Amino acid sequence: MNVIVLVKQVFQSADLKIDRSTKTLVTQGVSRVISETDKNAIEEAVRIKEKHGGKVTAVSMGPREAKEALREALAMGADEACLLADSRFGGSDSHATANVLAAALTKIIDYDLILCGAYSEDLFSFQVGPRLAEICNLPQITYATKITLEGTKVIAERDLENERQVVEGRLPCLISVMREINEPRLPTLMAIMAASKKPMNTWTAADLGLGEDELGFNGALVEILQSTAVVGGRKRIMLQGEPGEAAAELVKALVQEGVLKAS
Amino acid sequence: MAQENRGVWIFSELPSLAFELLGKGRVLADRLGAELAAVSVETDGGAEAYIQHGADRVFLMSSPTLSTFQVDSYTDAMTALVNEHRPDVLLIGGTRNGLEFAPRLAERLKTGCITEATRFELDAEKNFVLMERITYGGNLVEIQISKSKPQIATVAKGLCSPLPADPSRKGEVEKVEPKIKPPTTNVLETKQKSAKSVRLADAPVIVAFGRGVRKKEDMAVIEEFAQTVGAAVGCSRPIAEDLHWLPEDQYVGLSGQKVSPKLYFACGISGQIQHLTGIRNSRIIVAINNDPKAPIFEFSDYAVVGDLYQVIPALADAIKELSRV
Repeated sequence: MNVIVLVKQVFQSADLKIDRSTKTLVTQGVSRVISETDKNAIEEAVRIKEKHGGKVTAVSMGPREAKEALREALAMGADEACLLADSRFGGSDSHATANVLAAALTKIIDYDLILCGAYSEDLFSFQVGPRLAEICNLPQITYATKITLEGTKVIAERDLENERQVVEGRLPCLISVMREINEPRLPTLMAIMAASKKPMNTWTAADLGLGEDELGFNGALVEILQSTAVVGGRKRIMLQGEPGEAAAELVKALVQEGVLKAS
Repeated sequence: MAQENRGVWIFSELPSLAFELLGKGRVLADRLGAELAAVSVETDGGAEAYIQHGADRVFLMSSPTLSTFQVDSYTDAMTALVNEHRPDVLLIGGTRNGLEFAPRLAERLKTGCITEATRFELDAEKNFVLMERITYGGNLVEIQISKSKPQIATVAKGLCSPLPADPSRKGEVEKVEPKIKPPTTNVLETKQKSAKSVRLADAPVIVAFGRGVRKKEDMAVIEEFAQTVGAAVGCSRPIAEDLHWLPEDQYVGLSGQKVSPKLYFACGISGQIQHLTGIRNSRIIVAINNDPKAPIFEFSDYAVVGDLYQVIPALADAIKELSRV
């Protein structure tokens, strides 16, 4: 059972600040981490390997810094990592990103299952998984909270708004996971040291045989025209005074807003 | 371009959301001087209801495989329909089903998709729909366009208002029998979530609490207040996942319940991005927290810096007072 796990490195969301004067997001000095559901995907991939044998390959498209995320995946138990890094990947939207990942998968060839997080912590587009599955002509099972493999059969539990669904599919396929699926392990010191000896490949656009119109700004189907930090999107009215006074003020304001009525 | 893409289409497997999309779609279609069409499945019935809520045309897909939502089948069916009629804009209801369907469909059509769009505007030449989307848990607002057509977007529940049903509206119903390959996955079982979590998603008023509530017994303060304002009770992720004071389907956040009430009380919730993403469609957000630096205050309309153990009873009293006068 060879599993590919897709990993995205994101900024530690709790540490992001807004510069109110320039209306930009301040990312300087903010640490980078593995997007949370991707971490669950790594854990699940390693558990599947532990149970069924085989190999786990972690793949990430991103800047050089994303090597850190991949090293963490290796420390968690992945066997090999591929960093897809090229300045020409910059400006990729979810379609172009899926193109780059698909090209990497054609190079890896030997896989039964692709795992990824259901969403990334920074952009929440929910797009790369389904788009990649479509390019690779693979079935997709999204929002998994439990995965059971029997031969080439997959049984997965999916978390939808009002219901939990149990679905059956076949390998090879792509499965996106939710946070509930598992508790990602903390790698031991031994595992962290061992990780530095595991293979880490870096592939560029040329290595992947990708043309200019398939990646980056040229390959993107969506263009971002403007990006502004939210300043004052909400009213941010502070109610001062003793609890009683503040409460009375608040109730008055909520009645005026039309969201609170006398019962 | 050989043939110009025309018309605004909407689709959601959830009829109530489809009506909301029709409200938004009607505005766009009128500005574009184009037709508004709803794509629906026969088993949903109610083509007339779509027309009454603003559709000029309803494509009624008839196929036994479409009776339950399955991403492969819906992608096959919609692709055929889009390729035949070439709409300009396609709005898809942003349910979890919709969110796995829209990008798969967009990839097959090799077109752009903007998930969870929050606002729409036309560019000066009316060639493109400028779509707003919020990232980084509400910290960044981006204006995006799809460079190709159809321009696909998903729209979350509770973001647009349906038009009132107009029984005198006329429209056309077109039956289609799409060719669909056998689906790659089968649904073996469906388990309904608890009624409480379902109610939370639809509640008009929500009182949610976080780590600011110090002991499990103190939840009574929150529950009593919720009863006073007629609200459903929710919580932040640590309360459900780490402390297990409430079931996991009652926490509000990106990976939990996404809510869109008219009034949301965040009591003792610091405001992690995870949580903010789940509440951003709320109309009015009230935050009560004793830490004046809590991120939640940046994302609230009304804020009370104070001890929730004092503020909440005071608030309950003030609301009871309101009913007395």
